[in-house]
Amino acid sequence: MQTNTPDLEVANGSNLVAAFHLAQRAPLILRRQGNMIPHTSVNSGKNPEDYGVIEQLLFSCLQSGDDKSALLCTEELAARFGVTDEKVTGLRGLYEEATAENRPTLEKCLQKYDLMLSENPVNLPILKRRVALLRSLSRPADAISSLINLLDAVPTDAEAWCELADLYYSQGMSSQAAFCLEEALLIVPNAWNIHAFLGEILYSNALSSDGEDSFSLLEGSIHRFCRSIELCTDYLRGLYGLILATLLLKKNQHLDKHSEGPSAQTRSPLTSKILDELTIFARERLNEIVKSRTSNHLIWKGNQGELIAAKELLDRLDSSTL
Amino acid sequence: MGFLSRFIALFGLVLLAHANTNPTTSALPQDIIIEALASLVLVSAGLVLGAEKLKPISWSEWAGQIEREGGARNPYRRLEDRFAFWDVRAKRKEFADWIRGEVPVPGTESETVSVSASKK
Repeated sequence: MQTNTPDLEVANGSNLVAAFHLAQRAPLILRRQGNMIPHTSVNSGKNPEDYGVIEQLLFSCLQSGDDKSALLCTEELAARFGVTDEKVTGLRGLYEEATAENRPTLEKCLQKYDLMLSENPVNLPILKRRVALLRSLSRPADAISSLINLLDAVPTDAEAWCELADLYYSQGMSSQAAFCLEEALLIVPNAWNIHAFLGEILYSNALSSDGEDSFSLLEGSIHRFCRSIELCTDYLRGLYGLILATLLLKKNQHLDKHSEGPSAQTRSPLTSKILDELTIFARERLNEIVKSRTSNHLIWKGNQGELIAAKELLDRLDSSTL
Repeated sequence: MGFLSRFIALFGLVLLAHANTNPTTSALPQDIIIEALASLVLVSAGLVLGAEKLKPISWSEWAGQIEREGGARNPYRRLEDRFAFWDVRAKRKEFADWIRGEVPVPGTESETVSVSASKK
């Protein structure tokens, strides 16, 4: 069981604990994969999923600093798909970036990418690596402009739109980030996590603006969080955001009523009754989720941050209403 | 449920077989027709009861199930991870800091996790 199904943790590989466990088993998995090569021909070889596992293993090994196993992974992928394959060149570039010792070596990586792109300007994995490297070298403006160029050529790449949103957001350009996520949602309209992210960006944007803007941003944010929960009944982030956004809008409406009389809130379809209902609904759901996750400790072992934050919010709400 | 449904299905099959073993040539006697029909109902009931748990056909239920399982099967997770844009050096540093024990990561020792550690 332990050695045969890396998939469960593979899928959870973004967190450190899982990456560590997977990387620890790297030699074993690689040996098992290696044993299969001799008696299978190149094309009819392994399952396609096996290469997905190797790719994930490469990420985990690189993250945990096991460069030797990582090199083996890239070699195995190159042996199957050829050294000139676009994806393989991208992963190879990733390996070189990871093992580069200093900034000049990284600059050399960048030049190498430029050279590859002059030969093949539509090598998407390398284009993306180039953006990531620019970002890593603290050149966000260059990263943004080259990502925009990429999106001009391939406007249907949701991953690139999300990265651009993240880049903009890291530069404090929230409205651009929101626009990018909206573009991503045109491609993947059912992605409940992206709806919630957009809600979060609008919410934080509302926090830093005031007056009319803040009202409309908060309303947009509530809409996004609601859609996210509509698409996924158990999405903790969506419920968490919905509570925060409804509470803030209610507070702002309350303040607004005192200062200027009837203005923005009279036009708003979100009356204070609806906001209350939404808050109560989200609170109840969040309570249920927290309870079930606490009892189901094993699955959530590597991902306690969200749970702790949710508990904290619920505790705060409990203490404020008492 | 598993054993019961199998037993019902098996019993129904036995009845069906029994109904067929009676050597009759012209008109079927009443009891054999009843036996055959009863066996049909029993076999169907047994198979339906023993079927696997149905999978959700509503999107939100399906997605909710994925989240309850830890989000590993979420097809949109790649949009959060974005491995093509992975900042490998930052990730390595994060990992190295964690392994040296400088940044406590929530979940490693659930009892001693402090609230401040959970906030990124």
